[in-house]
Amino acid sequence: MLANYSALFAVLAFPGGLFALAIGLALKGADRRLAARLQRRVGPPLAQPFFDLVKLARKRTMVPDIAAKPVFLGAPLIGAASMLLAAALVPIAGVYTPDPALGDLLVLLYLLTVPAVVLMVSGSASGSPFGAIGFSREMALMLAYEGPLVLVVAAVAMRTGAGMGARVSFSLSEIVAYQQAHGAFLFDPMLWPALLAFLAFYPANLGIVPFDIPEAETEVLEGPLLEYSGPALGLFKVMSALKAVVVLSLGIALFFPMAPAGLAGLAVQLAKLLLLMLLGVTVLRVSCGRMRIDQAFRFFLKWPLALSLLSLVIVSFA
Amino acid sequence: MKFFKIFARNLIQGPSTIAFPFAPAWTPERLRGRIVFDLAGCTGCRACEQVCAGGAIRFDKTPQGLRFMMWHNTCVFCGLCTFYCPTKAITQSDDWHMAHAAAHKFEMAIREVIPYTTCSVCGLKTLASAPNPVGVVPPFSAEEIEQHRQLCAGCRKKAMAERGATS
Amino acid sequence: MKTLTETMRGLAARSPWIYRINAGSCNGCDVECATTACIPRYDVERLGCQYCGSPRHADIVLITGPLTARIKDDVLRVYAEIPDPKVTVAVGICPISGGVFRESYAVHAPMDQYIPIDVNVPGCPPRPQAIIEGVALAIDIWRERL
Repeated sequence: MLANYSALFAVLAFPGGLFALAIGLALKGADRRLAARLQRRVGPPLAQPFFDLVKLARKRTMVPDIAAKPVFLGAPLIGAASMLLAAALVPIAGVYTPDPALGDLLVLLYLLTVPAVVLMVSGSASGSPFGAIGFSREMALMLAYEGPLVLVVAAVAMRTGAGMGARVSFSLSEIVAYQQAHGAFLFDPMLWPALLAFLAFYPANLGIVPFDIPEAETEVLEGPLLEYSGPALGLFKVMSALKAVVVLSLGIALFFPMAPAGLAGLAVQLAKLLLLMLLGVTVLRVSCGRMRIDQAFRFFLKWPLALSLLSLVIVSFA
Repeated sequence: MKFFKIFARNLIQGPSTIAFPFAPAWTPERLRGRIVFDLAGCTGCRACEQVCAGGAIRFDKTPQGLRFMMWHNTCVFCGLCTFYCPTKAITQSDDWHMAHAAAHKFEMAIREVIPYTTCSVCGLKTLASAPNPVGVVPPFSAEEIEQHRQLCAGCRKKAMAERGATS
Repeated sequence: MKTLTETMRGLAARSPWIYRINAGSCNGCDVECATTACIPRYDVERLGCQYCGSPRHADIVLITGPLTARIKDDVLRVYAEIPDPKVTVAVGICPISGGVFRESYAVHAPMDQYIPIDVNVPGCPPRPQAIIEGVALAIDIWRERL
């Protein structure tokens, strides 16, 4: 019974739920601030994403006449809920180990596809032609980047499994524990191709500039999000803030989870997240132009796929 | 990789944003802004109404006199009226703070009346407009302008001729 | 005691998203709006503003152009898509009075006979600082409406 409550706490308060949301919003604020500074602007206050959320909560939600109303309004709820759960699945080294009953890496993989699916569903349910374009682009992009992600995860899992004498280990806590005992995978040449593939994957999943093709503001007017307003749009913002935390923490857990125990570990984790957000997301976002969907599709089926496959092959024969 | 250099430069140089909504903004010296109308200098020639591109300037006759009306909400700030005004009674200030709540839409206007008076010589009803002293040698003094304001068109012509001016 | 809703309203008012409608403008005002949005010199993101692509996300609407007969219905339709509460800013003299196109058969000029306008920014086109001033005025009005 107590285990159930601690799982609920993990999903709703820490490290999922409120904590992850606060971190996600703060990261988005830092991202916008740095982007502004890189462009010689002053930029919004750090709490701007939070203001946006409060504002959206106070606005009216409009449902288009031709939209499928239950799906249209249900989709963002499912997306935000899936990310809440996912945030509780990623361990924070030295601070938090998820309850095995909540799920392992495979569940996390499935949960990570939910936001993309939700965007697709909401885009098509809105009945807007831009939503439909966003839907098709999101689907193409998802098909392209999910493959490399699965292979990366499989490579890391096999590497851990081999190290621990088993075949594979899909438990993130075990992966983290193994790395803390034997050194981070960041310094393991066998997994360098996988690391590169992951670096290509996360901008696509987070929808930032070189790969923000489905939600391209200037082309398809934010695609699937076009018809959303008010609290429903706020849920999408919550979802993307949580997703940023989940994906970046997943990257940290997979490749560099070294941290001391206790509060210091939490601080290290936050510092890592901030560094990743600023260097990996903001600089990338500000310095790149947007790819076309066919370019992105070809890119993902060429390099990240090949690299992650290479890593998997090396790991499985080593 | 050139953009890293640009990023570093931008970070070091800091924002180039002006502090405007929170501090006064810089205004160019010859900015063509809000119209200023000087009733005392107006000759009532209506040249500004003729040349106004946006149709912002309008004159009409009222029982009190000739009314000058100018509405900033349809003015294109082209400066034609300033250019053609013979006595420079219309000028443009560099004030561009004209954003206003829509309720005050019709307060963005200038309404001035050049009143009727009776000619101090012949007693005819006439407009108390300023004379056009451009090119008058020697130039009119302020008292002379005030005297001429009290004259009708015919008497003014006569007075000008006596003074040796042609315009 | 300042109530929670009051505080929330204050926070919410710091996030006005801007949407631009071109109602048959000559693009002069649009260029100035783009300047206001894009150039670091006039960073509107300081005020929490963000230009958004969809009318559904908008809080403050900048309308340019004299509402030409051709585009009138579409503008009214897009305007109706914007969720309440919203504030409308007429940028340039065209939407306010018709400007140089006043009394033309092809424009339905003073826009406030179709759309409730809250703030006027006269100018042909207004300078970016004037647009920012108008947006700041609009934010004040918007705070009351939230």
